[in-house]
Amino acid sequence: MFQRTSLFSALVAMTLSASAFASAEIGKPAPDFNLAGADGSNHSLAGYKGKTVVLEWNNPECPFVRKHYDSGNMQKQQAAATAAGVIWLTINSAAAGKQGRLDAKSANAYIAESAAKQTAYLFDPQGIVGHAYGAKTTPHLYVVDKDGILRYAGGIDSVASTDPGDIAAAIQYVPQVLAELAAGKTVSTTRSEPYGCSVKYGG
Amino acid sequence: MNLRSIVSVLTALGLGSSMAFAQADATVQADHLAVELISESPVLVPGQTAWLGLVLRHAPHWHSYWINPGDSGLPTRLSWTLPDGYSVDAIAWPAPTRFEVGGLYNFGYAGEQLLPIALHVPASAMPGARAALAVEVKWLVCREECIPGKASLDIELPVSSVAAAPTAAHRERFEAARHALPVATSWSGSARLAGDRIAIRLDAVDLPSTEGLDVFAVERRILDNGPVTVRREGDTLLIDVAKNDYFEQAPAALDLVLTRRMTNGGAGAWQVRVPFVAGPHNE
Repeated sequence: MFQRTSLFSALVAMTLSASAFASAEIGKPAPDFNLAGADGSNHSLAGYKGKTVVLEWNNPECPFVRKHYDSGNMQKQQAAATAAGVIWLTINSAAAGKQGRLDAKSANAYIAESAAKQTAYLFDPQGIVGHAYGAKTTPHLYVVDKDGILRYAGGIDSVASTDPGDIAAAIQYVPQVLAELAAGKTVSTTRSEPYGCSVKYGG
Repeated sequence: MNLRSIVSVLTALGLGSSMAFAQADATVQADHLAVELISESPVLVPGQTAWLGLVLRHAPHWHSYWINPGDSGLPTRLSWTLPDGYSVDAIAWPAPTRFEVGGLYNFGYAGEQLLPIALHVPASAMPGARAALAVEVKWLVCREECIPGKASLDIELPVSSVAAAPTAAHRERFEAARHALPVATSWSGSARLAGDRIAIRLDAVDLPSTEGLDVFAVERRILDNGPVTVRREGDTLLIDVAKNDYFEQAPAALDLVLTRRMTNGGAGAWQVRVPFVAGPHNE
């Protein structure tokens, strides 16, 4: 039994390292997941089929995340997206003991305090979903279309900095992608290099 | 009103810090990082190039970033205010170190690191005058967590027609910094896209051995930021690395920095530019 467990662990480790940051591909089905949310419910990507879904990697204490929350840029994008029927899932992949790790109570306090407007705030403490998507930074944004196809992966905007003063002149990619998808157009920017803090994975 | 009274009035108005004649700090201690602006030579000679240094002193376990920061982070940025006719080059980036945090990789500096900057003194600079050099530094310093910081640093140096020897302490620091700069090489080689991988070969008789060797791309979004595999076959180094997730298009040429850090403390760094060639598996 012990040996079998070790073998299993070894296989899981191999699978994880082989797929680590293999990164979800644009134009291909986005990896499905099922994660617990701060609202007490589980949320799966498959469960939102038929709707456009935004995934946002989050660490409340990261200065790059704070740039976009303290300025209200992130909440504005969340509000506009959800008002248009888009599902916005904020994902926290911080491992136990790492910076930015939240439980449901502290996540709900963070949502209330920042007046965030996402559909749900999800926990990925094993980093499985983060690794499946190749999420490297906070923030790191993904857009999945109504058919479950990945249409965008990358940064929140085009100016890598921690300075909120840079937001106005930056291209905000997610609103652009959502507008193009809603209009039935081809997405013009499907990838950009994400910038931010490293996702605080375990191990 | 003479100059001194103008300065006094401006100082009284709280504008002194922007004045060339006001003394400002050459060292600022911020969270987990102290920054200092120093000059190798105690004087500036008209028509010559002088070396300035931004000294970064990181708290233990904290690091700041190279020109290519890797998976996250931001390179340190400088914005200069110089007297008319003076100009500076970009930072002469010392060879970086690879840091791993939870399976993600960053490139940068820990401990004490001097970033050298070449200052071009105009031929018209007047001996006897003093030149005020000011820089605004912005950085990101990280352990696992990250803290952005900035500081305004000033130094003032006399212009002299006669060069002066640096102090021993400054000479030592600048020599160490120059030693850490990658040596430009004329090695031949190429980089080739092969599916999801990038294969690089370098050919030269004076290549370093693979012990303690690491390879970095100056450009972002070309090479994956994880560790590379390096093999030596005779006078050839074969470097295999995954393509970056955000690779868009092969550049005409790839600038690489190779570093070698050996367990006995020996170290070296080289820079080479190789053409990016179309391969049989080119996408």
